[in-house]
Amino acid sequence: MRPVPWRDSAAAAATAVLLMGLAACSGGSSAASSSGSGTTGVTTTPPPVNNVQPVLMDYGPIVNGQSVGFNNTLYTTVVICVPGTFTCQSIDHVLVDTGSTGLRIPASLVALSLPYVTDSSNNPIGNCVQYADTSYQWGPIVKVDVQLAGEVASSVPIQIVGPTNFAAAPSSCTSGGTPAQTVTDLGANGILGVGLFRQDCGSACAAAAPPAVYFTCPASGCVPASVPVATQLQNPVWMFPQDNNGLAIVLPQVGAAGSVSLAGSMIFGIGTQADNALGGAQAQGADSEGNFTTTFNGKTYPGSFIDSGSSGYFFLDSPTTGLANCAANGDANGFYCPPSPVAFTAINSGPNPRGTGVAVSINVAFAIANGLSLIDSPSVVFNNLGGPNPAIFDWGIPFFLGRTVFVGIEGQSSAAGTGPYWAY
Amino acid sequence: MRKELILFSILAAAALPAGATLGGTAESVVTDQSKLHAKRAVVDRQNYSVHEITSNDGTLIREYVTPAGKVFGVSWNGPTIPDLTQLLGVYNAEFQTAMRAKRGRRSSAAVHNSDLVVESSGHMRAFRGRAYLNSMLPSGVTEDVVQ
Repeated sequence: MRPVPWRDSAAAAATAVLLMGLAACSGGSSAASSSGSGTTGVTTTPPPVNNVQPVLMDYGPIVNGQSVGFNNTLYTTVVICVPGTFTCQSIDHVLVDTGSTGLRIPASLVALSLPYVTDSSNNPIGNCVQYADTSYQWGPIVKVDVQLAGEVASSVPIQIVGPTNFAAAPSSCTSGGTPAQTVTDLGANGILGVGLFRQDCGSACAAAAPPAVYFTCPASGCVPASVPVATQLQNPVWMFPQDNNGLAIVLPQVGAAGSVSLAGSMIFGIGTQADNALGGAQAQGADSEGNFTTTFNGKTYPGSFIDSGSSGYFFLDSPTTGLANCAANGDANGFYCPPSPVAFTAINSGPNPRGTGVAVSINVAFAIANGLSLIDSPSVVFNNLGGPNPAIFDWGIPFFLGRTVFVGIEGQSSAAGTGPYWAY
Repeated sequence: MRKELILFSILAAAALPAGATLGGTAESVVTDQSKLHAKRAVVDRQNYSVHEITSNDGTLIREYVTPAGKVFGVSWNGPTIPDLTQLLGVYNAEFQTAMRAKRGRRSSAAVHNSDLVVESSGHMRAFRGRAYLNSMLPSGVTEDVVQ
């Protein structure tokens, strides 16, 4: 039931974006008059762009009349356009992922005609992404204009996932893993990677050809290739003309029993407009891989991270936490199943992104409840769902509930300092 | 057809600069390492040795080898996940079957079967994981060494 009004509002939002784009073309005079300054014919600062993008957690996209979403998934609606045109389409229920970079849309959903991005030999470029659960996505790169709220990133390389008329995934990409190629595989209509980095791979894939990231795909078959940074998948946020130094994800809190849905915002820019000031948030730097250290019960766990694309708090193991694992043959296999909720505290620390040389430490309190009870309930939004993840902390979507979490993009500056950093 | 097959096998080898798979022998490590000009180091420990190979994107792969030359554990740490069909060998199918039973958990992978243990974690640009066989741990060696 729920996705229907979402689709309607998404379509309305897409229309609004297009109108706003047209209004922007009419020049600065409307800016002056709308500001009410009384001056005419004077060039003024353009009006602030709408930087608030609605986000939602619910049952997910519908395939053949069935909701196919997973628990604890954050979605948004993305508008993609043929570059430089107003020929656009709106795609709802795209997973918002601060743990990856780049927009990836299943081919079955793409109605636009989008030419492949090619290399110097005019061969299409294939991209492989592998996730920690060893699922993978494979497909060619195309360019689109990406519209989120009133923001537009132009000519953004994105991945079209799993088109039937493109080379099959190389074995080094599938690696025997689970395909995340279709909407049902993924539980989402694509992934919007808006993490700490500008590109998915960066200089490593420009200098060399890692075995399973970028491929050149002549008719004879796809082979690993190096790809210039500008051709790689991009975080669209850093390509906006403004509000491009990061973003904030703002979600309300839910009760211990969870919720069937939740609405929030993704706000672009950090300290660039009245609505995205840091306020009391503390900024904590991440390393060049996007990780930081979590301290728990006096022990440090480097390699920890924050990830809106993870469906729970995934941390340590049963012996270390004292939390029972859920039964391997039940619905909650892979989660923790304490008989009653257990409260914890941990400390996240990283360098001050202003380069003061002094580490910033932030206390985090959280609770873990019985995963089987949660998953078997009608709710799909939980702040207390967790599971094992030996030797590190993956602060997944429950961490975002009841918080404003800022994502400071690498090389981009704000009052908090220079990215990559988190602030909350 | 034959040409394609040969090309394919070269690509498969290039995909992962490690030849020894979990539960197999360590003999092919040296051959593959020289073929691929990958960096390799061997460190001897009490009751086992560690073969370290660095792939061209900087992913560090370690293979833990018994005194009899069998690979009882593997680990990886770096920007990409190595080709697990090669690294885990016949055990990859068991791992993937277990993973499919965990649909709905979007994050890391952790499979703890009676013999096979596989853990895979991280995010884009920073992956880490390990796998070992309980039945093949040398005497006096615990799974904690595999990391």
